[in-house]
Amino acid sequence: MKRWICLLLAAVLSLSLTACGAPKTETLDIFAMDTYMSLVAVGDGAFDVLQRSSNEINTLEQKLSRTIETSDVARLNANGSAVLDEGTAELLRRALRYSEETGGAFDMTIAPLVELWGITTEHPRVPTREEIDALLPLVGTEHVHLDGLNVSLDEGCTIDLGGIAKGYASDCVAALFAASDLTGGFASLGGNVYVHGVTADGQPWKVAIQDPQKTGAYACTLHLSGAFVVTSGGYQRNFTGPDGTVYQHIIDPATGYPAVSDLLSVSVITYGAADGQGTRADAYSTALYVMGEEAAVDFWRQNSAAFDMVLVTADGRVLYTPGLKDCFDETEGSGYVYQPLAA
Amino acid sequence: MSTNPSRPELKWNRYDAIVATLVVLLAVAVALWFYLPKLQSGETTVVISAGGQETERVRLSDFSGTTVTCNGYTLQIDADGDGVWVSHSDCPTQDCVHTGHITRAGQSIVCLPAQIIIHLEGAANDGPDVIVG
Amino acid sequence: MTDMKWTTKNIALCAVLTALALGLSTLENMFPVSLAVPLPGVKLGLANIVTVFALYELGAVPALVILFARCGLGSLFAGNVSALLFSMLGGLCAMLVMIGLKHCRKLSIYGVSIGGAAAHNIGQMAAAIITLGNTMVLGYLPFLLAVSLITGTLTGFVAALLFRAMAHVTLSH
Repeated sequence: MKRWICLLLAAVLSLSLTACGAPKTETLDIFAMDTYMSLVAVGDGAFDVLQRSSNEINTLEQKLSRTIETSDVARLNANGSAVLDEGTAELLRRALRYSEETGGAFDMTIAPLVELWGITTEHPRVPTREEIDALLPLVGTEHVHLDGLNVSLDEGCTIDLGGIAKGYASDCVAALFAASDLTGGFASLGGNVYVHGVTADGQPWKVAIQDPQKTGAYACTLHLSGAFVVTSGGYQRNFTGPDGTVYQHIIDPATGYPAVSDLLSVSVITYGAADGQGTRADAYSTALYVMGEEAAVDFWRQNSAAFDMVLVTADGRVLYTPGLKDCFDETEGSGYVYQPLAA
Repeated sequence: MSTNPSRPELKWNRYDAIVATLVVLLAVAVALWFYLPKLQSGETTVVISAGGQETERVRLSDFSGTTVTCNGYTLQIDADGDGVWVSHSDCPTQDCVHTGHITRAGQSIVCLPAQIIIHLEGAANDGPDVIVG
Repeated sequence: MTDMKWTTKNIALCAVLTALALGLSTLENMFPVSLAVPLPGVKLGLANIVTVFALYELGAVPALVILFARCGLGSLFAGNVSALLFSMLGGLCAMLVMIGLKHCRKLSIYGVSIGGAAAHNIGQMAAAIITLGNTMVLGYLPFLLAVSLITGTLTGFVAALLFRAMAHVTLSH
């Protein structure tokens, strides 16, 4: 009798134990690429995947940062030419393609103007019209000559991959996640988010888009899996000039001045861990912000198969594309008027 | 015809009670294993990390503030039981001070120059998993 | 219990019991307990009466054969394969535990039946975890186990009635 009860108990317990093995969640916070990054992984080998992701991000920063003297980008800017490795060359190819697609609203050759305004430094300043006009002719992808792994820049032209480096990093993390045994996870790389699989509760990830007008509040929430969300907005980083004008950090390649947009923020959503969707989302979000509402909506209509988006306008509307209809939660009491866009 | 010798007892007895008790015990064990961790993490917790290292983990209701120095900058963190905020910082960007109060699980204050993160952790809540922007 | 011989009569007996089990499953699907107790997968487990009966009257092997036939045909009728995994894992767990408990001669039909009902729920839970790929459903297990005490007692009671009614009838030879 006792023997059998023991056996039963052991059998039942071992059954429940093998069935359990609650999914392991690991988190990792890192400071890289001039921003705060948070990585979360759920499932087998979570810690290992996060370590490799972190290493990958640091390696990328060493290659792509404009301010690290030994980086590929810094050497190219200093010497006017360079031989790149395949990864960096591919990123440059994509940057050129996105510039073309967005009619120059995204442009990596904006670097001389970024430097002039001191946007990313601790001491930004408002340059004179003459200073800006002198540098504007250097902006344009026609100054970048890429042939295989060889790249050269026209005299005075420099490049800044800051607009897509984090998107590219999120692509690399997405690839590591996709090749792993993780059941879920996300990478939040300063305005660039990639969500993989499902949460430990088996649900799609809830990605909240920051309310540009109110810290700690959200404009909306998206339920996503296997997707990139990249938000660009003037509210993220800006400075106030001596006359009280607020200058934000995204420079319009057409004018050389910080973009004056009728949008407060643009979030671009792309899908799938392959094909550089994170880089695309990063480039598009910057470009659409510079374009403004009307041109952004036109651009989406022409490329509606490629991405979804959420626009927060300065006059208090939140516009979203119909592809998000089933995963879009409005924020109650946010004061925004929510409008789905017509295809 | 005779009764089949393999036929069981048909009256409830104390040995049946043992089986029933075992089932109850198993139910309680699974319930404890599954629900206890959730109950324990029910309270909002303040987690402070500096330079990638967790330096403090306190329940929000027990947290009265602290001073953290990292990367050459010092942050004065204050709390009133309901929320946490950075009242003073000598960092150049002052983003941490401008973030203001955080009160809900999932929210955080990040100081990039000092590499200090103040994060509110909590139990299963309705809040988002990740915030972009 | 001696091993049952696979005579025509006994094969026919197995077929009748399988049909009975299928009938009981269908019957209880028509009056779902889950309406009264809002838990996924809650069932009276009437078909378990047949399993208990077959186990004692015919032995473990015929009882297993009836179980397989019942699960296979049942999911065929319902037309879904994931139901097969659920009923098979649940039924197998219940069967194995009851075979074990049957050896404790001091246990009455109630103890065996309760053990079987609890094991049935554990097996179904395992199926749910396999199908859903996450362990969140385990939160239901304590409640399902509690319910299995009641359903196990109930099926034990019905089985006891059955054995009493058949006290002087021998089915297999």
